[in-house]
Amino acid sequence: MANLLIVDDDAGILSALRRTLRREGWNILLAGSPSEALEIIDQNRVDLILSDHKMPGMTGTELLGEVSRRSPETVRILITGWSEAIDEDELARIGVGAMVSKPWDDAELKAVLRQYLA
Amino acid sequence: MAGAHREERAAAVARIAVLGAEGPGDVTRLPSGSPLGDSGSSESGTFLALGRLGAKVEILPAGNVDDCLRLSREPSLDLILLDCCPREVVEAFFSARPGQGAPVVVIIPADASESAALDAFRHGASDCVRVGGEYVEVLALVAMEQIQRWRGLREKEAARDKIEWLERLNQAIVTEIPVSLLVLDGHRRVVEWNPEFQRTFDCGPGEARGAEIRDVLPAPLIADGQLMELVPALGEPLPKRPRLARFTDAEGKDLVFDVRSQRLDAEGHLLLTLSNVTKTELMSRRLGELERFNEHVVQSINSALVVIDLEGRISYANPTAGQILKISEADLAGRPIGEFLSSTDKMPAVVEMALEKGVHSRGREMVLSLADGAAVPIGISCTPLLGDHDEIQGAVAIFQDLSEIKELQRQVLQQEKMASIGQLAAGIAHEINNPVGFIHANLAQMSEYLDDLGLYLDSVDELKRVVSAEASEEGARALRSLDDLARKIDLDYLRGDFGSALRESLEGSERIRHIVSDLRDFSHRGGVKKSSADINQCVDSTANIVWTMMKHSVELEKNYAELPELRCHPMQIKQVLMNLLVNAYQAIEENVEDGSATRGVIEITTRERDAGIEIAIRDTGAGIAESNLPRIFDPFYTTKEVGAGTGLGLSTSYGIVKQHGGEMTVSSELGQGACFRVWLPHDLDEASEPT
Repeated sequence: MANLLIVDDDAGILSALRRTLRREGWNILLAGSPSEALEIIDQNRVDLILSDHKMPGMTGTELLGEVSRRSPETVRILITGWSEAIDEDELARIGVGAMVSKPWDDAELKAVLRQYLA
Repeated sequence: MAGAHREERAAAVARIAVLGAEGPGDVTRLPSGSPLGDSGSSESGTFLALGRLGAKVEILPAGNVDDCLRLSREPSLDLILLDCCPREVVEAFFSARPGQGAPVVVIIPADASESAALDAFRHGASDCVRVGGEYVEVLALVAMEQIQRWRGLREKEAARDKIEWLERLNQAIVTEIPVSLLVLDGHRRVVEWNPEFQRTFDCGPGEARGAEIRDVLPAPLIADGQLMELVPALGEPLPKRPRLARFTDAEGKDLVFDVRSQRLDAEGHLLLTLSNVTKTELMSRRLGELERFNEHVVQSINSALVVIDLEGRISYANPTAGQILKISEADLAGRPIGEFLSSTDKMPAVVEMALEKGVHSRGREMVLSLADGAAVPIGISCTPLLGDHDEIQGAVAIFQDLSEIKELQRQVLQQEKMASIGQLAAGIAHEINNPVGFIHANLAQMSEYLDDLGLYLDSVDELKRVVSAEASEEGARALRSLDDLARKIDLDYLRGDFGSALRESLEGSERIRHIVSDLRDFSHRGGVKKSSADINQCVDSTANIVWTMMKHSVELEKNYAELPELRCHPMQIKQVLMNLLVNAYQAIEENVEDGSATRGVIEITTRERDAGIEIAIRDTGAGIAESNLPRIFDPFYTTKEVGAGTGLGLSTSYGIVKQHGGEMTVSSELGQGACFRVWLPHDLDEASEPT
């Protein structure tokens, strides 16, 4: 079963995303902060990380950059309401697979994730 | 001069008064060689003699002594002939004759006594001629001589009078003329000067005589006008042009002189004239300044300037006034100002205050009513025009057309409003984003849950139906209380309405999601580095995303040119394309919904144009009314029904394109579809990008 890690500092978002993706057949891991996410990455095989951008302590791009070093095989996807503050060249450099805007469209989100988590 | 004229006439015609002659007659008609008697009447001989004087002789016959005396007083008379008059007549004439006058020649009859000639000379005759042998020749010579002598005398006298008169005139001029005169001799030393010179250059009487020009004129004046050139040495040419020379006198007054020189005679005497033209010079300079002021300021200021007389009529208007009032400034003269400055044709209050009370008004705003019905907002200032004694002579009104300023003010206000709306929107979007995200996701899940619960309740109903027939009493009671509960909570309605409530809530949250998304895009742009992008690929991927939504009613035509990469914000450009494609689709849907079409075409064309790339999106949809075209890029402007659109899509797109330094244009006609063109320039100056 594919491991999917969702990172967001808003518990409401975490809970809603888990609910949305519950029946997709993936094992869903939740992290309320970037540091928690890195702990999980270190201890588990994570196939895909879906991270918020604007979080206290570390931005989503910074987190995904760190993930690309620690676990290069993990697919990195950014979900954010503030895409305009993100350097697209930086995203390409880190190797972010896709961007999903928040609020998300359920079907669109599922379609993106299914591309990577067959 | 009348005198000169008379003399000319006298010179042309010799006028001779004759007493004792037989009567008037033209001497020229007398037959020459008429026989002359030795004695008795000499008259025919006299006429013969006068005839020899030439053709121009006018004989003035005198009937008696008084008549002759009257003639003798005529100033133009040349000669008086007393022709063989009796002795007492001669005496009577001479005793009453005025002291001076034309010469008198006495003709003595041949038989008169020897003393007759002596007597005549004694009485004052100029000459005597006795009738006799060569009388005719003698008389002609005598008359001629007397006439010439008399005329010579008269001319000399007239010349003397004239010289005297000229001397007096000269003296008066030299003394009274307000021009300094200086006469220099051949050695350029002062020989004459006039009182004005003495006064002007503060020189005592006699002081100047023999002095050099440097001694009598101030050095700065000579230097300023290079006056030495006006008094060259003998034999050198005299400059023709007058000089203007300036200096400051002892009292500190600036004086300007017009200086000229003129040679008076061969000895080298020079006349130097110094006219004080300070006032004229000042006036002409002031006049020049006023003319320039008028030309440069009054004629060309961007404000209207109107001079109003005491009756409230325009007496002067500058060209700007003509432009604002839409009447040529010449036609404005004489029109009452009230025609323009008030709707009731009454004199406007600001002008009335200036004319009647001398009150100054500044910066009042009012509205002009023009003949063509246009109303022009103006700012007006009005000042009373005062005369030499502070009496009010009229008023000067200056006004500006405020239309542009008003429009700019409106635009600035609008921009400020939009900026604060943008900030507010950003804040709201930021706060609402997450809760809306999970509310929406949860509602979607809840409706899935409801479907599952529905299946479960269906199974319960089925179970109830199966067990109710063979239920125990306890079981039947439990089933009844289950039915009671179902009735009590109105289960059937609840099951139906739960779905509706969730579906409606989902719709609502979907709408909020779109609004938040639009607001976010509207308020947050830029600040990110650009990256190179293949515009054709951007267009294609965006078209593919929207394709599923529109494929049932739209045919997509793609005409992509080969394009170079463009540095831009690809995500933002995709957002613009998405927006335009969705709009195109909705325009086609409008036609489909009202039945005017079943399908439509969206044509996407890319090409290189003007150092950039153009993307054109053309649809065959409902089109845009001409009256709506100017506003479609305005924020919050929408023609969709309330709730269907935020009105931010096109303005956001427009903003993104502008931020890329590009252009977005639209051409459309109602019912004819629309074509949006986006032009993006190649970014040549990456250094200027915001970071």
